[in-house]
Amino acid sequence: MKKTLSLAAAMALSAFASGAVAQSFPESPITWVVNWPAGGGQDTTSRLVADRLSDVLGVPVVVENYDGAGGLTGMRELANADPDGYTIGMLGSSSIIQQYTTDEPVMMDQLQVLSFFGPDPGALTVGADTPYETLDDYVAAVKEAPGDVPNGNDPPGGASYISAAIMESSLGLELNKIPYAGYAPTVTALLGGEVQSATVPLPQVLEHAASGDVRILGVMAGSPHFLAPDVPTFAAQGYDVLAGDFRAVVGPAGMPADVAATLSEALVEVLSSAEFVEAANAAGYMIEPLGAEEATARIEAFDAQVYPVLEAAELVTNPK
Amino acid sequence: MTQDLLATIFADLFTFSMIGLALLGVVLGLVFGALPGVSSTMALAVMLPFTYGMETAPAMVLMLAVFFSSVYAGSVSAILLNIPGTPGAMITLLDGHAMARKGEAAEAMAYALIASIFGGIIGWILLVALAPTIAGYALRFGSPEYAAVVLFGLALVAYASSGDTLRGLAAGAIGLIVGLVGRDQITDVPRFTFGTADLQGGIDIIPLAIGLFGVAEVLVLMTRPKSEMSEIPETRARTWPRWRSLRAELPTALRASTIGTFVGAIPAAGSAVAVALAYACEKRLSKTPEKFGTGLPRGVVAPEAANNACVGGALIPMMTLGIPGDSITAVLIGVLLLHGLRPGPGLFESQPDLIVTIYGALFVAIILTALVAGAIGIPVYRKILKIPQRILTAAVLILCLLGAYAVRNAVVDVWVAIFFGTLGFAFIKLNIPVLPLAFGAVLGPLLEENLRRTLVIHGDVGVFFERPISLVLVCLSFAILLVPLALSALSFLRRRPRRHSGL
Repeated sequence: MKKTLSLAAAMALSAFASGAVAQSFPESPITWVVNWPAGGGQDTTSRLVADRLSDVLGVPVVVENYDGAGGLTGMRELANADPDGYTIGMLGSSSIIQQYTTDEPVMMDQLQVLSFFGPDPGALTVGADTPYETLDDYVAAVKEAPGDVPNGNDPPGGASYISAAIMESSLGLELNKIPYAGYAPTVTALLGGEVQSATVPLPQVLEHAASGDVRILGVMAGSPHFLAPDVPTFAAQGYDVLAGDFRAVVGPAGMPADVAATLSEALVEVLSSAEFVEAANAAGYMIEPLGAEEATARIEAFDAQVYPVLEAAELVTNPK
Repeated sequence: MTQDLLATIFADLFTFSMIGLALLGVVLGLVFGALPGVSSTMALAVMLPFTYGMETAPAMVLMLAVFFSSVYAGSVSAILLNIPGTPGAMITLLDGHAMARKGEAAEAMAYALIASIFGGIIGWILLVALAPTIAGYALRFGSPEYAAVVLFGLALVAYASSGDTLRGLAAGAIGLIVGLVGRDQITDVPRFTFGTADLQGGIDIIPLAIGLFGVAEVLVLMTRPKSEMSEIPETRARTWPRWRSLRAELPTALRASTIGTFVGAIPAAGSAVAVALAYACEKRLSKTPEKFGTGLPRGVVAPEAANNACVGGALIPMMTLGIPGDSITAVLIGVLLLHGLRPGPGLFESQPDLIVTIYGALFVAIILTALVAGAIGIPVYRKILKIPQRILTAAVLILCLLGAYAVRNAVVDVWVAIFFGTLGFAFIKLNIPVLPLAFGAVLGPLLEENLRRTLVIHGDVGVFFERPISLVLVCLSFAILLVPLALSALSFLRRRPRRHSGL
């Protein structure tokens, strides 16, 4: 009993204390959850931001990798953390998709969006040995032999799978979608000729295009990719396809408004700085700093776009 | 190229600051790698933030030093504590820990070190001399070839696992089922997750191995009656093996290093496959296969040479294609990206200096690992055995559970380790070999994924017999599995009439 009382007293005190220090947030290290292993795109971008975010906020921002279950382990870690602003992290499009395709998913209403990082548009790349010189060639060939052209992509629900599925549904195509565990094996299969095309983001194939091993036929974005301004968009070639991954920074739902605002402003400050943009661009990442509201709107737009595609592909096990 | 390389090694890398950094990396790697559950990937991820402020060359020197030395040090906890720190050390513990129990812990560590350095250097030579050629072969390795090589590995393991074949096969089958747990790589459907989200990520091989070997060992020690309590004997004075016994291991080390380099160069194959192939191959070629697992130095040399040759092998696709060979090189690519360098086929033309620096840095890392581990590492590590058994046992259990947690920061992995610890304990009591279970869990998912992908692409099993690499591997696998069966059936038939007449 005595223990319970003192515990209650301690809790009341700490609640009071945390209320009082909310203005001086942050005053201890912040954990940044990455839901993929070290070295990947999510990890590299997170570390780029975290390093500079700690300069702006004046406390260390520690990146931790919670890898597993297709990114769900990390999302669960984020959603279940105390909403005090000391645990934040990055998510990508796969976390939006998993809401509808997974058992016991982490729903977006368990999370609070802090800022947008940037898009990572899909691209269509074909092997140099294939007969497809242009997007027209490719689309015509796939139409002629539905289900025959092997395309390398993620397992169902992954970003490059969804890019392929959006391309299929927008253009009325049917591919033979071959799943690989991540971008590296997909690119390997494309280079080795096991698949004829792949829908991975452009930075993954840029160097191979430069060396002539693959041809990038189009970018699934509104404007060309800054790394390859010569590669036309799908729209410029008369095909209405917009698809790809994106990254955003989130925390658990229910963060105090001032804490969320502090984090959101600091993130936008980092993401807008010329030095950061230069470093991120050099590493191949597109930056589009947006505050909490605009970021939420972007994610909702993606959700609205991708849900029908998931339904059509019969991937939805957890309907809206 | 050779001249550049030598010039770089002597002029740029043998400077005070570079050697200091490499030394720091080697020491950190030797500490991280020896800790159970702290994989080389994790060691590199921990070091990642320190490379932000550095130039590319020193950053790569530091990371490669941590990389190579931690891969070697994975054998330390395997030999001393029977806990595999890394998947590559899973095989080392069989004979390594058996040697330790015979009082030859220091000698086992010395064999492991010499084999690691030898494997590292072979891998390095192949990397420097043949990287583009090997990368070309690695690209020809599509899903059918990959499925065939894993089938070959399983066949070798089935053949090589000693004792009761039926029990071994049963354990292997359990391993295959364990490998099915989690999201299926082809359709993304969760299997055997019992409705929990925790198992969707599958059963990670490190917690499984920590349980199967480490926790089970602790349970055996704890349930042993007091009268049977035997301390791990104090190490004999000899640390370094005799030259003659080393020379006898040379063919093994050469074969294992070659296997390690080539398997390491196949993207996503990883050291677990390489050590399995190397060990099974040695056991197959040995005249006394029954001695494997009883503390045979060859059982340490083969996996350790293969494991460390994988380092050079894994760098091949990274340097030539910009594709990570495993999770460790993925972190290295992350370092390059953070420095604004994009590894890819153009790296050789656009950044020849960087290529030479990386080659040189790996060489320096190998040499420093040999020196530091030999002079300081082994004498310090062997002190671990001076800790009283009861304290050591308790510490091992704690390290096992911590290590299991640290792999993915997941509590479920602690339960996985405890579960497989209990299972491993039961297996030991029932005299069922545990190794086939571990191999089944490692190789099963790889076989399934690639087999199913092959069928999705080609739609026909016939493809395995149309492609030369897979044809050879599949035929060899069947030969390994069926020839002994046919031979014993033949001798059984021949013997039967005689037995009959004897009645």
